[in-house]
Amino acid sequence: MQFEKQVEIQAPREKVWNFIWDVDQFIACVPGCKEAKTLEEGKRYSATMVEKVGPFKVEFPTTIEVLEREELSRIKAQASGADNKIGSRMKLDLEVKLREEENKTVLQFIAGVDILGKLAALGHGIIKRKADQVLDEFAQAVKKRLEGDS
Amino acid sequence: MLRRFRLEEPTTVAEVAELLGRFGDSAKVYAGGTELLLAMKEGLVHFERLVNVKGVSGLNEVKQNNGEIHIGALCTHHELENSPILKEKLPALVKLEENVANVRVRQVGTLGGNLCFAEPHADPGTLLIALGARLLAEKGGRKREIPAESFFVDAYETSLEADEVLTQIIVPVPAQPAGVCYMKFGYLERPSVGLAVMVNLNTGRTEIDDIRIAVGCAGPAPKRVAEAEALLKGISVDEATRNIAQAGEMSGRASQAISDLHGAQDYKEHIVQVLLKRSFQNALSQCA
Repeated sequence: MQFEKQVEIQAPREKVWNFIWDVDQFIACVPGCKEAKTLEEGKRYSATMVEKVGPFKVEFPTTIEVLEREELSRIKAQASGADNKIGSRMKLDLEVKLREEENKTVLQFIAGVDILGKLAALGHGIIKRKADQVLDEFAQAVKKRLEGDS
Repeated sequence: MLRRFRLEEPTTVAEVAELLGRFGDSAKVYAGGTELLLAMKEGLVHFERLVNVKGVSGLNEVKQNNGEIHIGALCTHHELENSPILKEKLPALVKLEENVANVRVRQVGTLGGNLCFAEPHADPGTLLIALGARLLAEKGGRKREIPAESFFVDAYETSLEADEVLTQIIVPVPAQPAGVCYMKFGYLERPSVGLAVMVNLNTGRTEIDDIRIAVGCAGPAPKRVAEAEALLKGISVDEATRNIAQAGEMSGRASQAISDLHGAQDYKEHIVQVLLKRSFQNALSQCA
C-alpha cells in the first residue's frame, strides 16, 4: 500500500528538521506509538505501535532504521515489526522530504506499508483506510506541535 | 483453535453492563457468536471473558407498541424472518432477514449482535437507517436511544459506550402510502453493496412526501444519504424519477466505497446507482 501525505507548517526548516530528530516529541505525534527508545543516535530506534480497528487490536514491537539522511531535506527509513499473538507482520518504508517555501516548510511523507499474516483477513480496504487515517493524524499532529509552540 | 476464556452468565441487563464496566477491554458480549467466535478461532482477537447475554430474558421478542415495532436485540435472524408482526408491518425487513448469510448463521446469529459487531458487509444496518430506526442502549439504570444513522461510526466501530448494552431496536411502522425496499449485490454470502429506500407518497400518490435513502457494505459503515433524499423529496413522482440517476451518483459517492476483492470503488459506486433506481421503482410500486 502506497501513501503520500503533505503538510505545510508555518515554521522554518531547521525547526522542523530538529523536531523530527527529537524522538520523544516526534513519537508523541504517531498515533498508538509508545515506548520509543534510541538504540543508536541518528541510526536505530525502537518503539511499539498499537493500533485498533473495533475489537481488533495489534501490537507491533518495531525497529526503525534510518537508511539515508540528507541534512535539512530528506530522510529515508525502514521499520518492521511482528505481532506474534495475532500472527501478523508489518513493514514500513518511509521517505520524509522537507522543502522551504516562503516562510513555511512543506513536509512530505511517502510511505509504503505492507501488512502480512492473519490481520490481512480484515480486508485490504479496511487496513488501507486505517493506515491512511494514522498517517493523516500523524501529519496533523506534527503541524499542531510545531505551530503551537512557535 | 479457540484459546481459553472465562464465560460469564449474567441474567439481567444491569449485570451485563456491570461486567462490561468491570472488565473493560478484556471482556466482550457474546450473543449468537457467528462473527465473534469466528474471529476468535482465527486468532484475530482474544478476550479473557465472554459475557453470554443469551440468559437475559425478554430480549428475544417482537412487539408492537404505538405504531412502532420493538425488536429485542437477541432475536435471531430466523426468528425475525418468521415473525408474524414483521411479516404484516415490515415485510422488507423479513425479506432482508431471509437472505442474511446462510441458514446456520440465521439460526443463531442475532440482530443485536450483527449491529454491534458492525462488520461492514452486513445487511440490517442499512435498512434500519432508511426506516428511521432507533437503538435502545442501556447501562445501570440509564437508557438512551441512538438513531440508527448515528450508531455506526466506522468499520467494526459503533457509538455504544464500552459498558452499554443494546437491548432493543425500535422501528416506526411507515405511514401509508409507503414503500420500503432493500436490495443488495455481491458474490457468495457477503454483500458488496447494499441499498435501502423508504418512500412516503401523498394521499393522491402523485408526490414524494418523504424519502429516506441509506447505503451500506460498499464502504466502512452504512450511512444515510441526505443530499440524495433532498433531490427527490417534495416533488412529483415523475420529476423524482427523472432525478434518480443524479441521486444515484450522489449516493455512490456518499457510500465511501473501498476498492477490494468485492469490487473496485467506481464499480461499487455504479452498482449503488443501479440499486437506487431499482429500489426506488420497487418502493413506488408498493404504494400503488
